[in-house]
Formats: sequence, structure tokens, C-alpha cells
Amino acid sequence: MAEAKPPVRGLTLDGYAVLLALVLALLVRFNPIPAIKW
Amino acid sequence: MATSVPSTNAISLSSPVDIGRRIIALIPGLLLLTAVGFGGKVIEQSIASYTKARHITFPNIEYVLWAIVIGLLIANTVGIPRVFEAGVATYEFWLKAGIVLLGSRFLLGDVLHLGGISLLLVAIALTLSLTFMHLLGRIFKLKPKLTSLLAIGSAICGVSAIIAAKPAIDSDDEDASYAIAAILALGAISLFTFPLIGHSLHLSDKAYGLWAGLAVDNTAEATAAGALYSDAAGKVAVLAKTSRNALIGFVVLAYALYWASRGEARAIQNKAAFLWHKFPKFVLGFLLISLLATLSFFTKAQLTSLANLSRWAFLLTFAGVGLRTNLRELGKQGWRPFAVGAIGEVFIALLTLGLVYGADKYLHL
Repeated sequence: MAEAKPPVRGLTLDGYAVLLALVLALLVRFNPIPAIKW
Repeated sequence: MATSVPSTNAISLSSPVDIGRRIIALIPGLLLLTAVGFGGKVIEQSIASYTKARHITFPNIEYVLWAIVIGLLIANTVGIPRVFEAGVATYEFWLKAGIVLLGSRFLLGDVLHLGGISLLLVAIALTLSLTFMHLLGRIFKLKPKLTSLLAIGSAICGVSAIIAAKPAIDSDDEDASYAIAAILALGAISLFTFPLIGHSLHLSDKAYGLWAGLAVDNTAEATAAGALYSDAAGKVAVLAKTSRNALIGFVVLAYALYWASRGEARAIQNKAAFLWHKFPKFVLGFLLISLLATLSFFTKAQLTSLANLSRWAFLLTFAGVGLRTNLRELGKQGWRPFAVGAIGEVFIALLTLGLVYGADKYLHL
């Protein structure tokens, strides 16, 4: 049988989640956003 | 239970209009997630301030439980209207973003120590669990591929592993739906039973967190089961579950090769590409943030902000766990896959509990 091909176009859900987390981490690091409260 | 089988978790963006339409479609569900999660937080704080003001001794019930219970009540009474579905389904996205951000609360040394112990225990539990699940599948005369999916789902990583394995072993949609329903139902049960068992056995935060991370199938439920015990246990549960998730690719590859060798699944030419495709990328994000925290890239105040961001992301996740659990679907799934899953879960829970006790004694958690 033919090999299963992974989807080529688009980022995975994991990829977007990592991207968002890294952007937030950088925003926190370089202070353009206020401290996040809980 | 939500039993539809997503064909892929890749998101392809065709045009700006399409992107805009997709984002707008998410808003109602996101608002619902926020309302339910925040509602849970408000209830926790209200009870705490009421009992404190009146000097009443009352155990603190975490927002996690309230958010899940509110979600369960909505999903199983009025139901979730279609307009909310897309946004509610993002709970897994928030879970993964939350896990990456949680990396800031671990020094890399801790990750390697606890993660290493987790990996060792996962390897032992995995081998025994998969063997036991296949034995059960034969006894209950389940279809072999359904047994494979149940084994992968309960031994490794719940729904994500089943979704990753389904195309790789060419199984039916129906089999995957059965396996997902059984795993989600059992995950919902473990949410309420694990903290009770942990407290009755007086497990330490680390031991309980490790146990929840090793035994509860789905990442969202494992995170919630850990957080229901304590904040520290939740942290360890996420780390242990992340170690388990890292093995998805290897287990799915092994199953794909097995079914391909029998001519019942597609052949795999490039095993490295297959492993990379199935590898959960948020594990790398978690390690990267942990590395940055270890290198003092963030100040103490910034680390607190990152931990709080992670909590907000988990708040949406826990709301989603309740909202997507439809208990009425349980009865429709047939008793045999559920019975195999349930017996397997009890076996895995006992096995991992024994392993955690052993690790606590000999490997000093």
C-alpha cells in the first residue's frame, strides 16, 4: 500500500500553541504587557 | 462523550477571509469557556471568603472542580448549541499552550530528574499495559484494531494517541469512536476517583502527581486530576504526562509497522519523518521555556506572570473538559469496549501506583 503522507500545508495545533506560548513569554520578558495576576 | 474523529489536527489557512471567518466562529465557544472557567474561580473565592468571614471550617474546593462540574451540568442538561462547538473545541489548544508556559516553573535539572523517572516508569507500565490490554481484547472478543486503539489510548495518551494511530493502522472510524468514547468516559471517572484515592492513601504531592500523570489517559484529565489534589501535584502530573506523551510516536510507529507487516495498513518508508510528524511539539516548547527559566532569562516577577498565564490557559481547559463530556453518549457505545477499557484502567492505575510507591522508596522522588 502507499505510504501515508502527513499534511504539508498549515501548522499543527501543537505548533500554534507553542507559538502563542513563546510570544506570550517574550511579551512578559520584555515588559510591553503588565504583570499577569491570578 | 464527543465521539467524532478528527481527520487531522493540522490547520491549513487558505485566505485572509477564511482565517477571519474561522476566528469569528471561535468567539462564542471561547466566551463560554471563559464564563464557565471564571465562574468556577468566582465560586471557589466566594466560598472561601464566606467561610472565612464566619469562621466556618470548610475544605477549599478548587476552581478546577467547579469549572468541570458547571461544564458537565451545561453539557448534560441544555447541551452545547452548535454555535459554541468550535470555540469549546479549542480547550486542547489552551491545554498545550498552558503546558508550554508551565515549563517556566521547572528548572531543567528537575525536568531531567522527574522526567527521567517518569520515562522509566512509563516504559515499564507501557509494556505491561499493552500486553494486558491485548489479552483483555482477546477475552472479550473485540476486533483486533479496536483493541490496538484501546491499548494505545489507555497505555499512552488518550484521545491524541488514538487520533494519531487511527490513520497509521488504517482502522475504521467506528473503532476509533468507540475507543475515544471509552477513554473519555474513563477519564471523567478518574477525575473524581483519583484525588479521593490519593487522599485516602496520604500520598505526597509528588507521588500523587506522578501517579496521576502516569495513569490518567487524556492530558486534560491528567492535568485536572493533578490540580484537584494540589497545585504542586498538578505541576508534577503535567511533567509525568508530558514524558508519556513524548512516546506517542514510537508506540504508534510500532503498531503501524505491525499492521503493515500483516498487509492491513499502509507501509511506512521514512520512519524518522513519521516519528517527527507524530511527536507532540508542545513537549519541545515546554523544554525550551524550562531551559530559558534555568538560564535566568526571566526575573522572579516574570516567572510569576508566566505561571499565572499558564493557570489562565488551564482554566479554559478545565471548563472544556466538563463541556465536552456528554454522559448520555456513554450508554450508546456498547459495553464491551468500555469494559475492556475499564478493566485495563484499573490494572494500569494499580500498576502505576505500585511503580510510584517503588520509585518513592528507591529513587527518591
